[in-house]
Amino acid sequence: MSFEHPPEITVLYFAAAATATRLDSERIPIPAVDGLPLSSLAQVLATRHASTDLGRVLATSQWSVDEEMVDDVSAIVLKGGEEVAVICPVSGG
Amino acid sequence: MSVEARLKTEDGLVVLTYEKLDTQAIIASVGDVTAGATAVFIGTTRNSFKGKTVTRLDYQAYSSLAIKTMASILRDTRNKFTSHTDQHPVSAVIRCTVHHRLGTVPVGEPSIVIAVSSPHRKESFLACEYILEEVKAKAQIWKREFYEGEQDEEAEWKSNAAP
Repeated sequence: MSFEHPPEITVLYFAAAATATRLDSERIPIPAVDGLPLSSLAQVLATRHASTDLGRVLATSQWSVDEEMVDDVSAIVLKGGEEVAVICPVSGG
Repeated sequence: MSVEARLKTEDGLVVLTYEKLDTQAIIASVGDVTAGATAVFIGTTRNSFKGKTVTRLDYQAYSSLAIKTMASILRDTRNKFTSHTDQHPVSAVIRCTVHHRLGTVPVGEPSIVIAVSSPHRKESFLACEYILEEVKAKAQIWKREFYEGEQDEEAEWKSNAAP
């Protein structure tokens, strides 16, 4: 099976991550055959936004995938189509 | 993503809104003839933080996830205050609700309102506080604090967690 376009995930940025990148969201291409381990995503995003302090924000943030918080980052491999959000330390209430 | 949202479950109503919070209406929404007590928490924007004058707070949410998280907090609260001594378990939380405002909340205005009705006063206070602490720890909502005399671009996103 071949893809005309590589699979992609949608990354959502909020709060400090949105301020750092000046983005609400972006599409990130994912390797077609093996996917992308979630544990590698921080490096991908930090490199993509190397001139910002996104890397520092990611170091203190959690992830959500398809509207579920991720407890074990090492257990997830992204295949394309997922909505992944950077969840920096929350401050509601 | 940081949009208005509303989720009504059997455990209560959760609302994220850009509108001013109508505290009286929210309190009335948990009213019930079996309730002897209603506990309410209203969180308001304070005018200072560590000696600096706060001019406003801005709130943003990952609404679809925050709503699910708050609904599950209401469910956990109802379960936490359920007594199993009778033939069927009965929750001391009759009705509960949490409304959180998004966008700019000026000084003195409510950003969050939680209301809980119970047969007796003890559980109403405890459940209300429990909901608040859980929302502050878990809900995917963020607050940015703006200070007098400082540039808007420098305003920091706060964290509820201990540093």
